[in-house]
Formats: sequence, C-alpha cells, structure tokens
Amino acid sequence: MPQSSPAIALHSVRKTFRTVVAVENTSFEVQPGEIFGLLGPNGAGKTTLLRLIMDIFRPDSGSIRIFGHHFLTEDKGRIGYLPEERGLYTKQKVQAVIEYLVQLKGVRQPQARIKTLDWLKRLDMVDVKDRRIQELSKGNQQKIQFIATVAADPEILVLDEPFSGLDPVNARALILVIQELANNGKTIVLSTHQMNLVESLCRRVFMIHHGRQVLYGDLEEIRKAHSEKAVVVRSNAVYVDCPYIAHATANGRGVQILLKENSEPRQLLTWLVEVGADVQSFECAKTPLEEIFIKLVQRK
Amino acid sequence: MLNEAFMNKIWVIAKREFLVTVTRKGYIFAVVGMPLLFGGIFGISFLTSGTLEQSIKSGSGPIAVVDRSHTLDFELAVDQELVQESPTTSTEVLQKAASAKPKRLVSYTDLTQAIQDLKNGKLSAVYLIESDYMSTGKIIAYSPERGVFSDLAPPDRSRLYDLIRASLVKGRIDGETRERILAPGKLKQMKVSKQGEVENASDAFQKAARFFGPFSMFLLLTMSIFFSSGYLLQGIAEEKQNRVIEVIWASVDPMELLTGKIMGLGAAGLLQVALYAGMLLLPAVTVFALFQVSVAGLVLSLAYFILGYLLFAGLMAGTGILGNSPQESGQLSAFWTLLSMVPMFLLAPISDAPNSWLARGLSWFPLTAPVTMLLRITSGQIPWVDVGISVVVLVVSIYLAVRGAAKMFRAGALMYGKRPGIGEILRWLKEA
Repeated sequence: MPQSSPAIALHSVRKTFRTVVAVENTSFEVQPGEIFGLLGPNGAGKTTLLRLIMDIFRPDSGSIRIFGHHFLTEDKGRIGYLPEERGLYTKQKVQAVIEYLVQLKGVRQPQARIKTLDWLKRLDMVDVKDRRIQELSKGNQQKIQFIATVAADPEILVLDEPFSGLDPVNARALILVIQELANNGKTIVLSTHQMNLVESLCRRVFMIHHGRQVLYGDLEEIRKAHSEKAVVVRSNAVYVDCPYIAHATANGRGVQILLKENSEPRQLLTWLVEVGADVQSFECAKTPLEEIFIKLVQRK
Repeated sequence: MLNEAFMNKIWVIAKREFLVTVTRKGYIFAVVGMPLLFGGIFGISFLTSGTLEQSIKSGSGPIAVVDRSHTLDFELAVDQELVQESPTTSTEVLQKAASAKPKRLVSYTDLTQAIQDLKNGKLSAVYLIESDYMSTGKIIAYSPERGVFSDLAPPDRSRLYDLIRASLVKGRIDGETRERILAPGKLKQMKVSKQGEVENASDAFQKAARFFGPFSMFLLLTMSIFFSSGYLLQGIAEEKQNRVIEVIWASVDPMELLTGKIMGLGAAGLLQVALYAGMLLLPAVTVFALFQVSVAGLVLSLAYFILGYLLFAGLMAGTGILGNSPQESGQLSAFWTLLSMVPMFLLAPISDAPNSWLARGLSWFPLTAPVTMLLRITSGQIPWVDVGISVVVLVVSIYLAVRGAAKMFRAGALMYGKRPGIGEILRWLKEA
C-alpha cells in the first residue's frame, strides 16, 4: 500500500434496505495510524457504514476501498471488528473462543494461543481463561470480545461502541490500550456516543444523521467552525468601553466575551494591549462536540 | 480460488464444528442412545414374543390327551422325537431355537381330572378324542384363558396329529411308505429368475438378511443425512440468535463459513455412520455371516449419502439463516424434510419394484433422489443410466443450493425480526 493511500476510503456510497435508505451519498477517508471518530444518533446509519466497511453488506452504488483497493477476502484478516451487538459462543470456554476467532483471522493455532494468553494477561483476564463465557459478567464478556478483536494484531480496528457496559476503571484501561494501538501504527475507526471520548481520542471525525453526512473533518476545525465568535479572557480590564464586545459574562475560567458580528478576536487582543490591561490568558472559546452534535441532530 | 488461507480457515471451521458437534449431548445420544434404545426395544419385543410364542405353543406343562376312541399308542409319542429332522438350514436353527423344548403328550382317562390339572397349571392343554373319532375325526381342545392374543392361537396340535398318524399306520404300513406318511417331504426351494435361470433359493433367513443388511445401511445413512444437516441448521440458527455470526463474518466470507461447516458436520455424520456400522452391522456380520451388502452397493450408498448430505446441508443452511431462533429455523426446514421423506412413505412400492417409473421418477427429482436411490440400491439391480441421471441432478442441485445458501447468508444473516417473504428471498438470490 502506498504511504499516501488512505486505509479506508468511501466514495458516494449508498445502501438501502427494502424501502429504507440507510446510507446516502457518503464519502470519507480514514488515514493510516489515526483514530477516526464515527458519530451519529441511534439509527443514523453508523452500524450500516461499519458493516459496509467490513464487506458484510455491499453498497448499492459508490465504492469502498480498503488499503487502496476494493475489498478482498484476504483483507478480512487485516481488519478487526468489534460489532455493537456482541456475539460469543457463550457455552464455551474463554480461551477456546478467543483462539478460534483469532485463527479465523489467519493466525496459526500455536501463535493464536500465545497471542490469546498475552492479551488475557494484558487485560487482567487470565484467571478466567478456563471459564465458560456465560459465567462472566457483562463487562468481562465485553473485554473478551475486545481481546478477540485485537489479538490477531490486525492493521485496522473497527470498534462499534467499545466502551458500552464497562465500568470507568475498565473503560479507562481500554482507552489506554486503544491509544497505544494507535501509537503503534494501527488505524482505528471508533463509533461511539461518548463525545468526551471522541474529543480525547480522535483527531478527525465523521458524523452521519438519517444516512447522510452532516460533519466531516478535523475535530478542532469543526469545533471552531461551530463556535460563535467568543473568547475567554482572564485579565484586569474593564470591558464597558470596548467597541468590539456584544456581551460579556464572568465564568470560572475568566470572562466569556461574545464579539460583535463584524469584530475579530485579534481586534479585542489589540484593544487589551492598548488599554494596558494585564492579560493572564486569552483563548478562543470552542463549542464542545456534544453541543454541536445535539444542535445538528435537533436542527435536522 | 482455493488458496492456502482459504483452506486454513475452512479447516479451522470444520475442525471446530466437528468437535463441537461430536461432544453435543444430542449427538452422543443419537450415536450411543439410539442403538441402545432400538436394541432394547428389539430385545424386549424378541424376548417377550419368544415367551409369548412359547406360552401359546406349549404352555407350561405337558399336553394331556383323553383318548376315548382308543386310537393312540402313547409309547409312540417318545418316537416322535426321532421323526424330527436334524436342522440343516439356519431357518431350522431359528425354528428349533424358537420352539425350545417340545412338550410331552400324556394320557389321561378322566377328562374332569385333566381339566382340573389344566386349571392348576400342571398342563398346557387338554385334547379330548371322542369315541366316534374314526368316523367323525372329532377332537375337542381345552386350553387355559391367557388373554386376547393367546386365546386366538389354538394349542399346538402337530404333536398330537403326529401321534395319531403314527398310531394309525402302526402294524399296517411299514418301511419307506410309513416314513413318508410321518415325514412327507424335505423341501428344497428353487428360484426361477426373470431371465429363466433356475437357482437354489436361499432359506428364509438368508433372504431376510439379504434385504435387512442393505436396508439397515439405507436407514442409518438416511438418518445420518438428516441428523447432520439438522446439526448444521441448528448451529447456524444459534449463531444468528447469539449474534456470533457477525463476528465470524468479519473474518470469513459466507462461502468459507458454509464449506467449513458442511465439511465438519459431514465428518460428524460419517463418524456417526461408522459408529452405527461398528455397533450394529459388524457384530451382525460376525454373528450371522449372512448380512449381504455388496461392495458396489456400499460404495454407491456412501456416494448417495455424501450427495444427499451436501444437498440438504445447503438447503438447511439457507433456511436456517431465515429464522430468528433454532426453533423457528427448524419449522421452516420441515418443508425440505417432508419432501425428502416422500420415498419413505412409498417404501413398499419402491422396494417391490425398484425400477418402476415411480421409483425412477423420484430418483430424478433432486429432493427425493438421495433417499430413493439409497432405497433402490437395497432392493436390487438398478440401471446405470438412473445412477448417472440422479448423480448429475444432485451435483447441479448441490451447486445451486450451496450457492443460494451463501447468498441467503449475505442478505439474511443480520436480519432480525420479521421474516422475509418469498419475493424478497428471490430478490436476494438474484442479487448478492
């Protein structure tokens, strides 16, 4: 794969079920080594998109390229998939189930066993390796499902709500593992409703609603673009005479200033310097992703 | 293309399916429990029928004869044992074994006493030969009340009749004529084939063995086809129900998954056949050395077993994926099972005329071909053209069934809730 090729690229993808349009004219790219956030309310088409990427569904039109080419059966061994609806052989033992799923990724049995045990140790689950899946708690089953997804060491990880059902401690452990995997060059597509996690893990995101794209690109750019002209300033200035300010309110971090329609933050900063104010901090206010998400969903 | 990775995944799936299936309770019951159950039923019915037969035939004591005509010479009753021929055929062995100890005939003068002894269980039957017997032939038989079925069977008369015959000819007819009156003939059966060839006919047991050997093979192969494809159906429905199918599908494509499953469960089916054969057929062969399963018939039967299994595996897989639970999938698959069982309902006409148009027609229809051909193989020579046609029909049907099942997988594996209609299924088969 050439270095410049995206790990995943969707172009004008459309998918319908009977009369329902699940995904319409959707295009995005996921770059190698990035954690890419896939957002959207329930029923927006996220899972359909992930299944399209995994070649579980095939698009009615448009194209999907993985590693720079159309999906090949061999690619299944290079992509790990954690579906939203967890599925394990509940009556079988933990180690046997993981080993089987790892072998299905093309890993030979002896290596599959080594990788399975390594990951069980890593996520502190080695004690349950001989227990049946159905005997484990929901959270532990979730961890087993995660291990089965990553143990074959795939290049791309497609994770659909990986933190659901986990307590904060285990969720934190999983976040660290995901960050480490990305640091080691794995490409990760993360579908979740937990916006704070997307903000802390992802650099770029794609948001789908009613099967259509509503957001796509760099997270910081998106937040900036969806922010009103506001800055948060901590200084000793008196803002009453400032010609650029429409509204100012004090908050815990300083004063949140909403600028007038034709004013820019740099004009305010120049004014502060001119009036000789002691400026301790000056930052453009960014709207949290959750607010953008809610606003977009409600508007649509 | 069958590359190494493809084969490895198929092998991994097949191995797992085999191991999971052969350790299932249902499988172990089918392999061990069924022969024990059938063996038990057969054994109990054999033992009870033997006991019943014996009790009907000879009761629990000797047979009393009150001879008011003074025709009988009871000393000759002992000689009757000599009239019995030494068994020379397996049929006679069985008959001898079944008849066990013949009951003595004892002379009574007082009918009331004889009936009293009969009532007390000392006698198994009482015959009264009336004084006018020589002119009327009148004999009255008394037997204890034992139940509806026992009462239907009259007490054993053959010993009495033998004694009457021996007594009547004594001193009147001697030599070979006497022998022939007492033992009229040693029957040797000959068979004339349709081609006019005259051959020694087998005795009844051999004839039965010639049928029951292949017929047992037919039954267990047919059962194994449905057991194995049933496991496939159940496994797929369970994977859909517990959502594993999506995880599996992220690693293998439907064709790999189906091929692996079909191979693994087919091996489990073959193991089942082999174990049945080991438990039932081989001991039978060792004990009787009479079960006749020709090598060609065996090879052909195994070929139809494999073809039948592959066809039903494809159909069951395609159907299994439609249901929301193993139970629902089972109900949907009943359609295939019922159709394929049609030859079982027509067992008698197909066995009697294995080359009739009915049998041939059913051999050319894919759903009924495996069972019909397995049955026809047990019943006699079948034209090679029928073998050829049915094999071609089955191979084409297997290809379509497995391919169709793979398409159904792609479209239906993740569909929950409302079942698709016929129109939608046809669209799936056309697309994908």
